[in-house]
Amino acid sequence: MSKNVKTALVLASIALTTFCGIIAKYWLLNS
Amino acid sequence: MSYAADTHAHDDAHGHGHHGGYGGIMRWITTTNHKDIGTLYLWFSFIMFMTGGAMAMVIRAELFSPGLQIVDPDFFNQMTTMHGLIMVFGAIMPAFVGFANWLIPMQIGAPDMAFARLNNWSFWLLPFAALLLIMSFFTPGGAPGVGWTLYAPLTVQMGIGMDLTIFAIHILGMSSILGSINIITTILNLRAPGMTLMRMPLFCWTWLITAYLLVAAMPVLAGAVTMTLTDRHFGTSFFNAAGGGDPVLYQHIFWFFGHPEVYIIALPAFGVVSQVIPAFSRKPLFGYASMVYATSAIAILSFIVWAHHMYTVGMPVTGQLFFMYATTLIAVPTGVKVFNWVATMWKGSLTFETPMLFALGFLFLFTLGGFTGLVLSLVPVDIQLHDTYYVVAHFHYVMVAGALFSAFAGIYFWLPKWTGKMYDETLGKIHFWLTLIFFNMIFFVQHFLGMAGMPRRIPDYPLMFETWNKISSIGAFGFGLSQLLFLYVVLKCIRSGEPAPQKPWEGADSLEWTHLPTPVPYHTFETPPVLK
Repeated sequence: MSKNVKTALVLASIALTTFCGIIAKYWLLNS
Repeated sequence: MSYAADTHAHDDAHGHGHHGGYGGIMRWITTTNHKDIGTLYLWFSFIMFMTGGAMAMVIRAELFSPGLQIVDPDFFNQMTTMHGLIMVFGAIMPAFVGFANWLIPMQIGAPDMAFARLNNWSFWLLPFAALLLIMSFFTPGGAPGVGWTLYAPLTVQMGIGMDLTIFAIHILGMSSILGSINIITTILNLRAPGMTLMRMPLFCWTWLITAYLLVAAMPVLAGAVTMTLTDRHFGTSFFNAAGGGDPVLYQHIFWFFGHPEVYIIALPAFGVVSQVIPAFSRKPLFGYASMVYATSAIAILSFIVWAHHMYTVGMPVTGQLFFMYATTLIAVPTGVKVFNWVATMWKGSLTFETPMLFALGFLFLFTLGGFTGLVLSLVPVDIQLHDTYYVVAHFHYVMVAGALFSAFAGIYFWLPKWTGKMYDETLGKIHFWLTLIFFNMIFFVQHFLGMAGMPRRIPDYPLMFETWNKISSIGAFGFGLSQLLFLYVVLKCIRSGEPAPQKPWEGADSLEWTHLPTPVPYHTFETPPVLK
């Protein structure tokens, strides 16, 4: 896997985790 | 920052004018070239700027006189909502992504963006998102009339236009995130040998930090609108009080995105100005390292000030104090930047071509916008001024005099490099002065309206506000017409401008000026420059 792809995957996973995390927090933890 | 370097063989003789396998429209649809994609972003941004501007004209036409004259209140609300969304997500953000595409590879000595096909996709998502936004006007109930902040619970009650807007935001967010990943990867991995991070032009630094902000903040907005969507159609009650939800929660989540968004727009503008002012002062940027640290500090602080947008929802005094102090703290790194720009000009050999005029306009007016931001950060003051025209004036000084003036400075600055031709300097200066005068006519007087108590987002107002509203509306019509002059200047430059020298600006010293011919070839830095 190239260095560029690794960098992109790390950044994409941060974005995806933030997106899912914010919904999960108020869906699961506040219910 | 200047570079002593091996300057041979970077003009790529075989690449000049070579646009790949397709011609005509297919060239633009299939292009993976960062310069083409930068151009697409800039033209898309201009079209959206005119569209959002037309909506502003409707708003100001209605507000020319008290009473209801031209549009009904519901359509007025749709205009304010769409004007905000289109200007923020369709005009200003894509404009600076256009600059990033054009300039970052050239300024760091890279041949292109790290993911060229992804770059194409990032752009071509935008017209579909814009289409969804415009289509929402033609749905039953029309476009959402909830304000660009899309506050619940109104958003839960809107018609199908709201769903189109939510999907448009999803697509715009995806485009921004993909673009940001591309920019970060390009800057971190594709810099030419010798181009250390602390030697990069400040424009690249501001975009690197902005891209991190986007990766962190855009998913939060996407989460907020997704929760709005599930509240509307899938039986959840995140924000619907009738089902046990909390509308104020939406405001917290939105502004956790929304305040970094302000700097997502402002930081690249700072980057452009940090290129223009040294070039026309014929001096290196004063305090380069402190500029980098100040930019980083602003980005970090932007995540801990969000609730200053919502002092009036009811929060503990300790909470108000925290957000007030944190917000005033932003004045420190911002002050460092303003000081450094002024210090760059100090004892410089200044000339005042159009890019410098717009940069100076930015410097004076953005500082004024920052100052009124400081005023609004104070809880007792903000409680009086919240949702008044004072706030409208404040953020237009940041968004228009800040971001738009900077974008104009950048376009006039790099237009000769991009097109190989000089723009008409006299017309450029006329464009600047008209824009400056009309901008202040529109928005300076809105401070008075706000302090007198005129609320924002209303189509009607008491007679006492008429005079300032008339002045503001006349300014708006003049400002709109002035931008047609800008279009004429750009088209005239492209069609019949005088040939530009390689470096028309004596003090410009980044790689695109020092290492590349004018106009820049289609492919550049296929062999990385070696910087010493």
